[in-house]
Amino acid sequence: MRVKPDVKTEPAHYVEIDESLCNGCVLCMKACPMKAIRLRDGIARIEGVCIDCMECARVCPRGAIRGVSAGNFDLEDRSEYVVCPTTVLYSQFGEEFLPNDILLGLRKMGFPYVHDQSYTAEIYDYAVELYIREQRRRVDPLFPLISAVCPAVLQIILYRFPSLLPHIPPLATPREIVTRESKRRLAVRHGRPEADIKLLHISPCPAIMIREEDPRSGDRAVGISTIHDELFKAMQEVEEDRVFHYSGGIGLGWGLSGGEIAGLDVKAIAVSGVHETIRYLERAEMGLLDHIEFLECRICNEGCVGGPFTVADRYQTKQLVRRFVRMFGEERRIKRKYVQKLYAEGWFEAGREIQPIAQEHPVPTVADRIEQQRRVECILKKLPMKHCGMCGSPDCRTFAEDVVAEKARLENCAYLRERNPKEISCARS
Amino acid sequence: MPLLERKFNIKANDFVNAGEVSLEVQGILKKIGFPAALIRRVSICAYEAEMNVVMHGGDGEMTLSLEPERIDLECWDGGQGIADIEKALTPGYSTAKPEHQEMGFGAGMGLPNIKKNADTLDLESGEGKGTRLIMHFKAGDVEG
Repeated sequence: MRVKPDVKTEPAHYVEIDESLCNGCVLCMKACPMKAIRLRDGIARIEGVCIDCMECARVCPRGAIRGVSAGNFDLEDRSEYVVCPTTVLYSQFGEEFLPNDILLGLRKMGFPYVHDQSYTAEIYDYAVELYIREQRRRVDPLFPLISAVCPAVLQIILYRFPSLLPHIPPLATPREIVTRESKRRLAVRHGRPEADIKLLHISPCPAIMIREEDPRSGDRAVGISTIHDELFKAMQEVEEDRVFHYSGGIGLGWGLSGGEIAGLDVKAIAVSGVHETIRYLERAEMGLLDHIEFLECRICNEGCVGGPFTVADRYQTKQLVRRFVRMFGEERRIKRKYVQKLYAEGWFEAGREIQPIAQEHPVPTVADRIEQQRRVECILKKLPMKHCGMCGSPDCRTFAEDVVAEKARLENCAYLRERNPKEISCARS
Repeated sequence: MPLLERKFNIKANDFVNAGEVSLEVQGILKKIGFPAALIRRVSICAYEAEMNVVMHGGDGEMTLSLEPERIDLECWDGGQGIADIEKALTPGYSTAKPEHQEMGFGAGMGLPNIKKNADTLDLESGEGKGTRLIMHFKAGDVEG
């Protein structure tokens, strides 16, 4: 079975800064939760680890920051692809169109094979519940288990909270499950070898898209915004009357914050937004959330319905999704026995283990690192604590760290320039 | 003198900012790269000590001292003090006000938790005399 790399193997970034549009304001640098952006010669640059949360692009007033691609929709032969739309797509066209109408619209666009992801979400959701129950029976359960469905959250855990990695259930992601399930089904039904089947993902999320584009298998991904207009036109012309949507309300609600835990019969909480997510991961790391069994985090406010490639307003979308959930019933429409069997067979197991990223410290000994930290604290006391960003670093503390790491010079601070920065010595006396 | 010493102020009854000091402590330890399990123990102690000051203390102060082979946390407050130290160290024993318990604090696990997670704990207190907690952690063989 082919396994997609769910973790970027190198800290490359997938947002582009258009230097001709950037005027060197500090907004993106301050918005970045990873403190990865610096201003160099009056232009924003990404220098640290980017988790693809797109906070920078959201705040840029000049539209200078974009995801590298919203997907290339230039397909040679649409009939070769299985279309796997995100459940968020179902809520982008207002209340006249039900999930099934949208799947029929995709068929009208020339895609013979459509895969209902909300159904797969329900299967996955139940597998997670089975895993939590298994964990409960252990003598020393590791709670809270943390969802890594949101790829940006996974990236944050890898780089900032590696001690929480064992809290991620060792299950394949829903995306992997969709790939496995849709290829398997098509192979069985149409007798085509799995290797020949290509997927087209439709996604609200740049972080997911860059993981789904796969030159080896030919799998492609496009943003919702890329196909929205064509799909809307196609839906007006649908005459076909067949059922492709099978899920209940639990699967349909997956795009909302809280959607993943709505069907779980466990002690769980859902957090959304990048800053709240970091806050809760910090608390989990301190052991303050051990009484909770499952923690759902989504980097976008309100969940995936707030993704950068969505078209409809996230709050209206939220209401529409709630309506669907009521309409189709707040339950999973899956065969539990069958999923239990798949689970027991190990069908949900992750294709590969998530390995911590070995972070080499540029400073080798603990004593030297403590000394470095002492200098940071010492410099910090001399800084104005206005966090203005004019030095090119996002805040005074990060500036002090940059100075100690020799990535910035004290003279860059506009406040210190008036005094003689050379007088500021934080060398050990 | 330790290689690094850092003092933090803690304000009594400031539930809005409660927890910030222990987060900062955790952040500093992570930057230096102490082992994760050790950081977790230190931050749990820092958090419990900080919450005690917020709930029972007058204003107080936490001091973090670092050396390669040891971490020390000292938490002082000028509050009401502890009348019976032995009782205070009993799991479940609490003198928290009902309004604090409603907020989910004051389950009587603070000091026992510190005792469990610190390598050594010294507690100086008396009624009306404020409280001083001295927590020590071994951090040896973490080179590299």
